[in-house]
Amino acid sequence: MADSVSSNTSLSWLIDPLESTRDAAEQAYRFAGDRRAWLVPLILGLALLTISALGGWQNPDDFFFAYLAGWSFLLTTALGGLLFLIFHHLTRASWSVVVNRLNETLIWAFPLLFVLGLPLLFGMHDLYHWTHAELYDPSSSHYDEILAGKRAYLNFPFWCVRMVVYFLAWTIVSYRLYTFSVRQDVDPDASIPAKLRSTSAWGLPLTAVTLAFASYDILMSLDPHWFSTIFGVYFFAGGILSAVATITLLALLLQNLGGQLQNTITREHYQDLGKYMFGFVVFWAYIAFSQYMLYWYGGIPEETVWFQHRLQGGWGWHSAFLLAFHFVVPFLILLPRATKRSHIIMSVMSVWVLVMHWFDMHWVVLPVLRDSAGIHWLDVTCWLGLAGIFGGLLMYRLGRHSMVPQKHPYLSESLHFENA
Amino acid sequence: MLDNLIREGKATMGIYESDADQVYGLLAEFPNPGALLHAAEAVREEGYRHFDTHSPFPIHGMDDAMGLGNSKVGYFAFLGGVTGCAGAYLLQWWTAAVDYPINISGKPFFAVEPSVPIMFELTVLFAAFGAVAGMLALNGLPRPYNPLFYSDRFEGASDDRFFLHIAASDEQFDSEETAAMLRRIGAQHIELVQDDGVSDP
Repeated sequence: MADSVSSNTSLSWLIDPLESTRDAAEQAYRFAGDRRAWLVPLILGLALLTISALGGWQNPDDFFFAYLAGWSFLLTTALGGLLFLIFHHLTRASWSVVVNRLNETLIWAFPLLFVLGLPLLFGMHDLYHWTHAELYDPSSSHYDEILAGKRAYLNFPFWCVRMVVYFLAWTIVSYRLYTFSVRQDVDPDASIPAKLRSTSAWGLPLTAVTLAFASYDILMSLDPHWFSTIFGVYFFAGGILSAVATITLLALLLQNLGGQLQNTITREHYQDLGKYMFGFVVFWAYIAFSQYMLYWYGGIPEETVWFQHRLQGGWGWHSAFLLAFHFVVPFLILLPRATKRSHIIMSVMSVWVLVMHWFDMHWVVLPVLRDSAGIHWLDVTCWLGLAGIFGGLLMYRLGRHSMVPQKHPYLSESLHFENA
Repeated sequence: MLDNLIREGKATMGIYESDADQVYGLLAEFPNPGALLHAAEAVREEGYRHFDTHSPFPIHGMDDAMGLGNSKVGYFAFLGGVTGCAGAYLLQWWTAAVDYPINISGKPFFAVEPSVPIMFELTVLFAAFGAVAGMLALNGLPRPYNPLFYSDRFEGASDDRFFLHIAASDEQFDSEETAAMLRRIGAQHIELVQDDGVSDP
């Protein structure tokens, strides 16, 4: 690769694989905020995570499950963003070019998430029932014939190998999409759009398959007897919704707090982001319900057990809350045209969707640990702590390059985009 | 009062009434889409409300130029959707639990869970019906008779010509002054269309 932009080699590669190209960015596209924009969330995140770790010292179960829910929230968001970007490259979308860089900044997340995921290895025994050795010992009273049958797949070494493969695949795809696009800012090589498209073409099936298996390994195997073939799609649906909300929120923060990109990202773009948000709210509900309805109709105990946990001991309220506030209310709010064009309503809805996505992850993860429902303070501090670190480093990365792919061939089309 | 409301309502659907002398309005031809767009803007700024434009293809920005505002079709689609959703619920509850209850492998006679797909389908179907019916109604369609058809040149509206029609029912309409205004804003060919079929070029 001819390097007009040199690579970052030190540990900061985790945060940004490229040297800063800030000086080459047009004035209007240069992040104007000072270091507080990334330091504040980063420090808050580290502080919250330290508090969580101290709190988790006494009850590691609570800590690890809370940490997994928060980490899954970020992982799904980053994966959703990766696929969202891939769709746009493959369809040669022009409307989205002005928000592409925000998306690209979001997806350089996998090396960091890998590092943030390492603490989970210390909690494997608490988190994953299938790691218990006595399950596989025929002479033990805990011997589990079903899990013994799944042992060829569900075992710790192979699980670790799979994690490495997934993260490697996502890192390679996101590395190419991120670095090609940033290099284009400085050195507009005419072959770059084609490279972005071809990477997207093989990146799409690769990401889709690894994402589905990752959802089985990370979340579905918390309840190792249970299985659902649509679980990967459910994981994806929540993630892409969360990614759209993150991009929207980032754009709104830059405009309304930073006073930047004022004439770049317009109401027309917010309306389209709002349409996506609306669409994926419906898609999430469609997938969640498809999973539920088939098990309801089948009525086979080994299949309904997962939902049974989530309808008893107060978890039923969480399920009802999810239905109402992850689907019905946002559906009605995002339906009219006017709400999608309003900065205030879109800000509220972005935060709403992000909170509900975490609530969804919490609903998937925590019933495995607790029979009675509730939100432990660790659940919130772990989530916000991880999100603070993630968000702070995202802002840091954003400040190092142009905030818009300034040499993208479709940029002017995107700037003048109007909904018909 | 009521007559007036009905007249204004029909005017928003593009259906205008002729005046006492059977004059339906003035039909002005413009050379290209851009000229028509600017003419629509100018006519609206002159204060006319009962006017319409006709072109062989949609012209980007024409809604704004004519001051039409947002389409109201969405409300019809929403009402259709709500009707479909409620209708599907009632249909399944009444047929399965009231009119002809049959025990099928111990399932409840009626439950929301398996009814959702039908509710979803009928929501979509009725929303589409609402959208199509609403679109036709708001456009005043189907409308086999329109006095503009008496104009020979108007046939070109579906081919290569761009027309603006100011209706005689507009409060500001005056065949002399309005024609002069149209000429001033660049109309190439102006004719007075009458509801009894007499066209006056």
